Amino acid sequence: MASWPPSAERSLIGKSIKRLDGPVKTQGAAKYAYDINRPGMLFARLLGSPHPHARIRAIDLSAAEKHPGVRAALGLIDPAAGEAAKVRYQGEEVAAVAAVSEEAAEDAIRLIKVDYEVLPHLATVEQAMRPEAPLVFPKGNVSQISERVEGNVDEALGKATIVVEGQYSTQVQTHTSLETHGGVCEWEGDKLTAWVSTQAVHGARDGIAKALGVPQANVRVITDYMGGGFGSKLGFDRQVVVCARLAKAANAAVKLMLSRKEEHLVTGNRPSAYAKVKAAADPSGKFLAFDAETWGTGGAGQGAGFSVPYPVYVFPNRRQRHRDVYINAGPQRAFRAPGHPQACFVTEIVIDELADRLRIDPLELRMRNLQPADATGVDAPNRQWRKYFPMGAEKIGWSKRHPTGDATAGPIKRGLGCAANIWAGAGNPQTRAACEILPDGSVTMRIGTQDIGTGTRTLVGMITAETMGLPLEGVHVAIGDTNYPFAPGSGGSITVGSVSPTVRVAAEAARDALFAKVAATLGAEPTALEAKGGRIAVKGAGGKSMAWREACKLLGTEPINAPGQWEKGLSDVGTSGVQFADVEVDIETGVTRVKKIVCVQDAGMIVDRLTAESQCIGGIIMGLGFALYEHRILDRNTAQMVNPNMEFYLLPGMSDIPTIDVTLVDQPDRGVVGLGEPPTISTAAAVANAVANAIGVRVRTLPLTPEAVLTALEQERAGGTL
Amino acid sequence: MKAFAYVKAAGEKQAIAALAAPGGKALPLAGGMDLIGLMKDYVAQPDRLVSVKELDASITKSPNGGLRIGSAVTLADLAANADARRLYPALTDAAAEVGTPQIRNAGTVGGNLNQRPRCWYFRNEEFNCLKKSGSRCFAVDGENKYHAIFGEGPCHIVHPSSLAVPAIALDARFRIVGPGGEREVAAAEYYQMPDKNLYGETILGPSDLLTHVILPPPGQTRNATYEVRFKQSHDWPLAMASVALSVQGQNVRAARIVMGSVAPVPWRSPAAETVLVGKRLTEQAAMEAADAAVAAAKPMSQNAYKVQIARTAVKRAILKAAGMKVV
Repeated sequence: MASWPPSAERSLIGKSIKRLDGPVKTQGAAKYAYDINRPGMLFARLLGSPHPHARIRAIDLSAAEKHPGVRAALGLIDPAAGEAAKVRYQGEEVAAVAAVSEEAAEDAIRLIKVDYEVLPHLATVEQAMRPEAPLVFPKGNVSQISERVEGNVDEALGKATIVVEGQYSTQVQTHTSLETHGGVCEWEGDKLTAWVSTQAVHGARDGIAKALGVPQANVRVITDYMGGGFGSKLGFDRQVVVCARLAKAANAAVKLMLSRKEEHLVTGNRPSAYAKVKAAADPSGKFLAFDAETWGTGGAGQGAGFSVPYPVYVFPNRRQRHRDVYINAGPQRAFRAPGHPQACFVTEIVIDELADRLRIDPLELRMRNLQPADATGVDAPNRQWRKYFPMGAEKIGWSKRHPTGDATAGPIKRGLGCAANIWAGAGNPQTRAACEILPDGSVTMRIGTQDIGTGTRTLVGMITAETMGLPLEGVHVAIGDTNYPFAPGSGGSITVGSVSPTVRVAAEAARDALFAKVAATLGAEPTALEAKGGRIAVKGAGGKSMAWREACKLLGTEPINAPGQWEKGLSDVGTSGVQFADVEVDIETGVTRVKKIVCVQDAGMIVDRLTAESQCIGGIIMGLGFALYEHRILDRNTAQMVNPNMEFYLLPGMSDIPTIDVTLVDQPDRGVVGLGEPPTISTAAAVANAVANAIGVRVRTLPLTPEAVLTALEQERAGGTL
Repeated sequence: MKAFAYVKAAGEKQAIAALAAPGGKALPLAGGMDLIGLMKDYVAQPDRLVSVKELDASITKSPNGGLRIGSAVTLADLAANADARRLYPALTDAAAEVGTPQIRNAGTVGGNLNQRPRCWYFRNEEFNCLKKSGSRCFAVDGENKYHAIFGEGPCHIVHPSSLAVPAIALDARFRIVGPGGEREVAAAEYYQMPDKNLYGETILGPSDLLTHVILPPPGQTRNATYEVRFKQSHDWPLAMASVALSVQGQNVRAARIVMGSVAPVPWRSPAAETVLVGKRLTEQAAMEAADAAVAAAKPMSQNAYKVQIARTAVKRAILKAAGMKVV
């Protein structure tokens, strides 16, 4: 069984190590799918439906095919295909062309004549839930109807004296990856090489092969670098298949990368969430009941579910009735902690409202209602809020928090808020790697994972180097290619828990094979050897040793190539954390500025402290976007998106990002734990609670725009919401 | 983007000749911060671009103590110009807040004053709105949170130029050169409401060029701009205001108060000016003027919140000009 080296003996693991690919990325030398250029390569553009709901009666490509520079054109919908001849959202792909320049392709798609039978469409959940609403899919606009019940909610609510009731909602957020979806496809005979911007090289390979009807062995997917996915590039993408088909038709390499507009429209989103909630506590501040009717839309797709109350806290009696609602908009996809930011927002806002009613400090109220410790009184290592809340409170200055409503004169109001998170995320036991040691001392770790910006490449290098007793620059990392052993897609915060143990296993196996080769020369048993400081040595003081390169020379002409597979015991499941927000709200303009976010997050055994902190910072910035800015706005009459850009789809820029104070709680005994998703969960809830603490009025919807804040203040003046 | 011809004009005369030449639609190109986006979005499809980068890019002092600003001056250069900052902080503050450093480095004074509206129905290809010769304004019963709170339509854009607002407050004049010669107009006369000009926003003819902004000497006036933006980084104002106040003794003798991002043109408020004239510059007076500035606002279905923001912008611009505490 493989194991991690004892803490005291680690030279790299747990330190702050700069990304291996930092220099090439900052110098522009890193080649993303977007940067791949092949000899004679063509550029493709897609024609998306301008109509959010239509039946395609005919597609006429002839004018586009005659446009100068066009080399291939494809219809993507068969008008005879019945239900499959319908488009259900704006931008759904109808046709594609490949041409000698992007501009020629862009002009050519405007020459394609599509005969659309425009069908009635739905732009909002309200429209879709009307009895007379047109149908997005034949089976009706509501699906995934579910009810989960614990205890007796009606009885508990009937008896309770402290009850809050309200409707809460969060908006549709798009992933807005900086590198859009797409790739470059090149055929050599019947073999396809695809450079794809994906979170799963193996998954993309399988999906492309299946869609094209070619053997999986004939498809190679490469992702050296990719510019963000956040879940939207986890599934396999239709665009790459279109790209491959165009490449086949044109007999040339083809690049197809989506435009920013298409990226907003068709590559997924975080579904909206709505919750009508009634919650109760007893006068001592013990939660009694949580009753929620919830719904949301993932557009023309399912998956708008979220679980309330958020399972950090105990409401002994709880009920949630949920419905997914279809509308004519781009379907949702997994988005960094699917369902969690929504559930966290709804629950944590309700808790602050209960705290106001009870006149109990909201932090104290949370501490009284956390999931219980186990029978021995010990909180599980992945459920440590009891410890983290006081740590965060100290850092944000919670003791100076004023009751709801900043009584200070003047328009600028200050407030504090907090929220907690929980996340699972285990390693995939099927993960494999291969470690090669060459006779000249070169070490290469090959593993078919991909670095989606999280630092995976650096972690693979660190663990390999640590195991070999070499410096980080002494090993090569080979990832992002289906020619390397299987590793799972990077989603669900499972990458570090899958890859790290596997790399350790393969590296130990290769190292041990080298020990076996050199043991005789050092006059010791292989098990008595260690690899440290660039040398192979007999353990213990004054033992014989030899330099790494000298040791490897003993391999003669036969390299070591050791496979490795994931083993238990090197990683763990689940994390917990808390966040606090300090905000300033200008009540004369409704503008909220977040001054500071404090994050306390469990990170298991930290491999690279620097990239782990970066994960938290990135997650918080994304959470800030969800809290204040990001909002896919569909025109209510036409169901077309009015802000498919970065101008009115607001994202936090450098000057909008507050001080971010990250405390990673190192728990080295737990093994590695994924950290990609949890840091984005609690930010919006903490900010929303801080805004209410500042202005004395609760805004129950996201994003917290000036419009939302001023409207809430206005309603308060007109009769009160609290 | 539709293919186009490119003409590099050496100066005013050449540029106007190139714009007026036969053979399709020609548009002037300076920094390209607006026009290139319009072309990429297939909203503008010119046959010919005439580079006007060689127009006057200097800021010079007029004999009367005012300034003359060439259209080709970049926003960054205007924001950094010491004379302009001293005499017209209302203008230089507005310039400093436009877009991003990249936009300010490339974008020009002429380009800012002549940019097309940012209305999302105008900018998105699939909406054939009134401005694009369609038959309806989609904002009326659609998504109008950023649209106008003043004006009778039929188009409800807000004018996007941040410099136009202080230009009118400062009583600037614009020099226009065209095939028929040159003329000067008051900045306030330059912009046109949609009922007068639906397909454009100004009086500029197709072969005309705005070449200079001519600012009168400020005398004893104090001027300031206050902009309310949601984001600190790249964002458009939700509302802004520029004021020029002439103060004699303790009282306001004359005032020019103009709001931006609230109407299809920069929106001057005679009502607010009347309230302020004759009064001492106090916070109370500023609030009364601000209330008067928005009293006649007619918000659409989703933008009533902008009335409050415009009110705040006016109040704070007055306080800023008066050298008082703003927030």
